[in-house]
Amino acid sequence: MTPILEARELSKTYRKGATPIPVLNGVSIGVDEGEFLSVVGRSGSGKSTLLNLIGGLDTPTEGGVLVRGVDISSRGQLGLALHRRQTVGMVFQSFNLIPSRTAFENVTLALIFGEHPSRDRRRRAEEVLDSVGLSHRLNHRPGEMSGGEAQRVAIARALANGPEVLLADEPTGNLDSATSDEIASLLTELNTDRGLTVIMVTHEEPLAQRVSHRIVRLLDGRVVSDEDADRSGKARREGSAR
Amino acid sequence: MRPSDVYRLANANLWRTRLRTVLTTLGVIVGIGALVSMVSFGVGMQKNITDEIRRHDLFTTIQVTPADLDLEGVMSGDVSSVAGPRDPSVPVLDDQAVDDIRAMPGVLVAFPEVRFPATIRFNGREARVNVQALPSDMGLHPPFDEIEHGRFFTSDDERSIVLGERTLRELGLRLRESGREPVSEGVESQEALAVVSADSLLGRGVVLVSSVLDESRVPHAMATGSMPLREVETTLTIVGMRERSSGFGFARMAPDATVPSGTGREIPRLGFTSIWDLLASGGEAETEYPAVHVRVESMDDLESVRWAIEERGFSVLALADQLEEFRRQFLIMDALLGAVGTIALFVASLGIINTMVTSILERRREIGVMKAVGGSQGDIKGIFFVEAGTIGLVGGALGLVLGWLVTRVANAVLNYHLRPEGVPFTDLFHMPAWLVLGALTFAVLVSLLAGVYPAARAARVDPVEALRHD
Repeated sequence: MTPILEARELSKTYRKGATPIPVLNGVSIGVDEGEFLSVVGRSGSGKSTLLNLIGGLDTPTEGGVLVRGVDISSRGQLGLALHRRQTVGMVFQSFNLIPSRTAFENVTLALIFGEHPSRDRRRRAEEVLDSVGLSHRLNHRPGEMSGGEAQRVAIARALANGPEVLLADEPTGNLDSATSDEIASLLTELNTDRGLTVIMVTHEEPLAQRVSHRIVRLLDGRVVSDEDADRSGKARREGSAR
Repeated sequence: MRPSDVYRLANANLWRTRLRTVLTTLGVIVGIGALVSMVSFGVGMQKNITDEIRRHDLFTTIQVTPADLDLEGVMSGDVSSVAGPRDPSVPVLDDQAVDDIRAMPGVLVAFPEVRFPATIRFNGREARVNVQALPSDMGLHPPFDEIEHGRFFTSDDERSIVLGERTLRELGLRLRESGREPVSEGVESQEALAVVSADSLLGRGVVLVSSVLDESRVPHAMATGSMPLREVETTLTIVGMRERSSGFGFARMAPDATVPSGTGREIPRLGFTSIWDLLASGGEAETEYPAVHVRVESMDDLESVRWAIEERGFSVLALADQLEEFRRQFLIMDALLGAVGTIALFVASLGIINTMVTSILERRREIGVMKAVGGSQGDIKGIFFVEAGTIGLVGGALGLVLGWLVTRVANAVLNYHLRPEGVPFTDLFHMPAWLVLGALTFAVLVSLLAGVYPAARAARVDPVEALRHD
């Protein structure tokens, strides 16, 4: 079976002046459709860089990212933009919502780039915000919401264009434990109920164990382990109880 | 991303920072305002002068002079062509020459230059005037085909005169404008002008006082250093009055007083042509003219008539020859006036660059988000371009309004100051469609140009950097 998304021999080296700083070194991972994969590792292990490369926000120094066997960098900058627009949806630790725009407008922004017909945008934005439990927060700005709510808006924005893969970079990193659990449950639910493929980067191993099918561990830019995780029954129960 | 979405996003961004947007746009408004008001002054001047020339049919007018008269030389102070003894082989401009020219195909009217200074006495006042003698045929052609009050001459020998508005003013008279009261009583009283109706002057007699050489007084004059002149009075009837058509001082186009050519010939005078009387022997010089004015049917006839006249050994000067030079001069003037406005617009464009670069720094994260949700470099560039273009379009449109207002105020002020000098109300500014559209296009283009660097810089924002968790 061809993975929906594959990182093949990915390397990334940044430069600080004349000094090369290798961040990723020949990382290869395949993700199957419907899979929940967590990438864990310490700070500086290269996990966020890996996610940025998979998300098409950055380009690798070597290797490639393949979607159903096709390298996303083969179509240049526009190809990467299309990849971000159609294939993946991204969620960040600091939410990255536009503070001056309401929840509804933040979601609509993604729809504008996704080329949704303007008459469908309102319905679609309301639909995705409703699906993350924020139908009552449409006209609130990020500053008027809790961290958990803001992250839900960010998830709604990531889902707006119907991506095949959700990429979450430390999605609970800025949240307290209770809110973290809520977001983790939401991600699990999206994976379980809607069959959405999820790749989550986290430094919290217990969280990864709880919600993922598989865990890849990175250390100094290399994959040190790639093994199945056992989703806890608690997480599943919480997910189905929602 | 649809163009309407780009437009909506750009406008939302501009609105969000409205104070900055307004200030930046103000720069463009002032720039375009300065540009259009200045250029419209140049264009207005050109239009007024060209219209005046066209109205007087001067583009179809040529001036014929004897070939040995170096007109340009004389005008620049070199009188050698008129000072020395005359070459008898050079054809002279006499009545026969005038008749020959008149008979040429394409010639509408030809009349000799007869012009002399005189004094007009009327109602106890005097006016120094420049009298021109014209054939009655000229009544068929501009500007004499439309005499505002009364009529032009019906024969070349009638003892009549057509007075210009300036002459009337010197005589202390101002014509009541038909159908309304005098516009400014204050001006009239200040200059002590009597406001009269044209009808009350038509048919009345004026005394034309001309000077002639008094040979009997020559010895006395030589002894005392005074002029050996004597005054001759001729009574003429006012048959028409002309109002000055514009404030651009075309005194030669609208002489202060006009008399029929036959009458003019009979009036004893010491005119410009009489210099020959002093120098030449006998009476033959009496029939020679310094110049003949020819009006052709259309500008197409100009070349053939010119060729035919030059064949006969005369020099030809046509205003149409000066037309290109005239246009070039105005183009230079417009360019200079436009340059001042363009400098203001250039400064405004720096404002646009500054505003947009600041905006990029503030919106780095937003640009990163737009890229993360699928915005391409082209989309981001488009948004910033439209923002710059919108500033240019709105600034340009409001700048046109400002420019128009400036021209209206300046026009009112200038006319207010020119009015006491007898200049009728003239629109000194002209804002043709090409200027309006050109200025608007220019504003948008300059703004887009100013947006090139910021847009490119925005498109290059690294989303990884922009979205990095602080």
